[in-house]
Amino acid sequence: MKGPDLSVELAGLKLRNPVMPASGCFGFGREYAKYYPLNQLGAVVVKAVTRLPRQGNPTPRVAEVTGGMLNAIGLANPGLEAVLNHELPWLAKQDVPVIVNVAGAAVEEYVEVARSIADSGLAAAIELNVSCPNVKAGGISFGVDPGVLKNLVAEVKQVCRIPLFVKLTPNVTDIRELALAAQAGGADGLSLINTLIGMKIDLNSRRPVLANKIGGLSGPAVKPVAVRMVYETAQVVDIPIIGMGGIATGADAVEFIMAGASAVMVGTANFTNPLACPNIIAEIRDFMLENGIKSLDEIRGCAL
Amino acid sequence: MLLKIKENNQIAQNVWEITLAGQFPYESVQPGQFIMVRIGRGSEHVLRRPISIAAVTEERLTIVLRVVGEGTKWLSKQSVGEQLDVLGPLGRGFPLPPSNAKVLVVGGGIGSPPLYLLSSKLQALTPDLDLVLGFRTKSECFWTDRFSQLGNLVITTDDGSAGRAGNVLDAVEGMLQSGHKWDYVYACGPQPMLRALQQYFSETAVQGYVSLEERMACGVGACYGCVCRTKDDAFSKRICADGPVFDWNEVIL
Repeated sequence: MKGPDLSVELAGLKLRNPVMPASGCFGFGREYAKYYPLNQLGAVVVKAVTRLPRQGNPTPRVAEVTGGMLNAIGLANPGLEAVLNHELPWLAKQDVPVIVNVAGAAVEEYVEVARSIADSGLAAAIELNVSCPNVKAGGISFGVDPGVLKNLVAEVKQVCRIPLFVKLTPNVTDIRELALAAQAGGADGLSLINTLIGMKIDLNSRRPVLANKIGGLSGPAVKPVAVRMVYETAQVVDIPIIGMGGIATGADAVEFIMAGASAVMVGTANFTNPLACPNIIAEIRDFMLENGIKSLDEIRGCAL
Repeated sequence: MLLKIKENNQIAQNVWEITLAGQFPYESVQPGQFIMVRIGRGSEHVLRRPISIAAVTEERLTIVLRVVGEGTKWLSKQSVGEQLDVLGPLGRGFPLPPSNAKVLVVGGGIGSPPLYLLSSKLQALTPDLDLVLGFRTKSECFWTDRFSQLGNLVITTDDGSAGRAGNVLDAVEGMLQSGHKWDYVYACGPQPMLRALQQYFSETAVQGYVSLEERMACGVGACYGCVCRTKDDAFSKRICADGPVFDWNEVIL
């Protein structure tokens, strides 16, 4: 008997399965390659890349909260040159599509980094980060205004020869407006949601735990919010959606797919269990077998 | 990997000692390395807790932890026979000195446990090992008998309730004045203590290694949550993967 087909097509990308790590939760892949071959994944999504190296925010940068965590890493990354010279060439040998998350403080920076990544031939797609809640200059400022977002996406799209995904923030009044703006700007797909802004206060020091005071909330605690936003967005856009937010099991992933996601990203769960992604892939397969589902096309958006 | 709790005992105020057994690469453990321990059984706790390895045998692993929050409280309440989900050994440990080097080991409070494993290795390399362990008060002291078997142990407490009154740096200064000399210093403890040692020895040829602590998420180098700045201002080092042990000339404390 032929097993279920987990493969998905995403804006022209052919993925073995719909599961990939979320940007920022997987470094540049090397650390988790010690736990399993990366070609088990649908794709690898690397940490946000900016033109120059960034140290990020002061520590503490992470804190646990009930059912989730807060982070305020602050887009720490070794910069475009190091990523092009050291990280992407290594990833290119891992037999898995690579999606590079790109961040910037100005339109010109996004354009330059996206062009360099796309022209390198080492990435399958770009994910535009317009939703980092932890950096004042840039990031989030591009993700909350539909006009600004549409313009940025259009500018990047002009120089980006590979599929362009736009990662949306949930920290807006109506995510559908931003989704439609990204689509109008030429995005080939959307990924959502980035983290929700949160805070934790230490009762002993009577101060916020994070040095940055606020941070992005992720983990199982955000899943219902994320499912709702994927569902709402899927109702209004024509481009594929990569859903994420608190996915820790195959059942969680299936829920996002039923809400309209074509693929999913797994973030915080990688920290709880380094084998989270392979486990989720196996659990999706089991779910399909148990329910007689031959292809994910059969359930994508079925809840809409 | 799942390890079974063989012992879980309180050994000082807020301090617990847990011994684990089961499939684990015991022989590969380097002093200074740590494990990431999963907390709870459901999805309430998403982050593992980093805990340094205090002692290791061919079939046992011992960790010593201070209860500081929900995760460590949960660990302190686990019964013998229950299993803990553990990743490790993780990180880079202490580089060992050449034979016969003169060595000082300095621990502060709950920073002391990894120095026990280190000192047990140093014992075979160096004839007279100097050990200084600082605690806030007598009720927080632990493993002093075990450490005293490994070298010349000096205990300090802030309030003088055990050992010498004062902090570890006072004790180190006193030892220097009475003629002690060292080629290597190994330290783990609160950052102000590490910084004081780093500064104290900065104009000397003494080689030092410090083990750093920070809130961690992944524990394997992927999330960039735990970082420290380096003196050459290169991209930050990840404490979990590039450390937790660093040459004290390398890092800004």
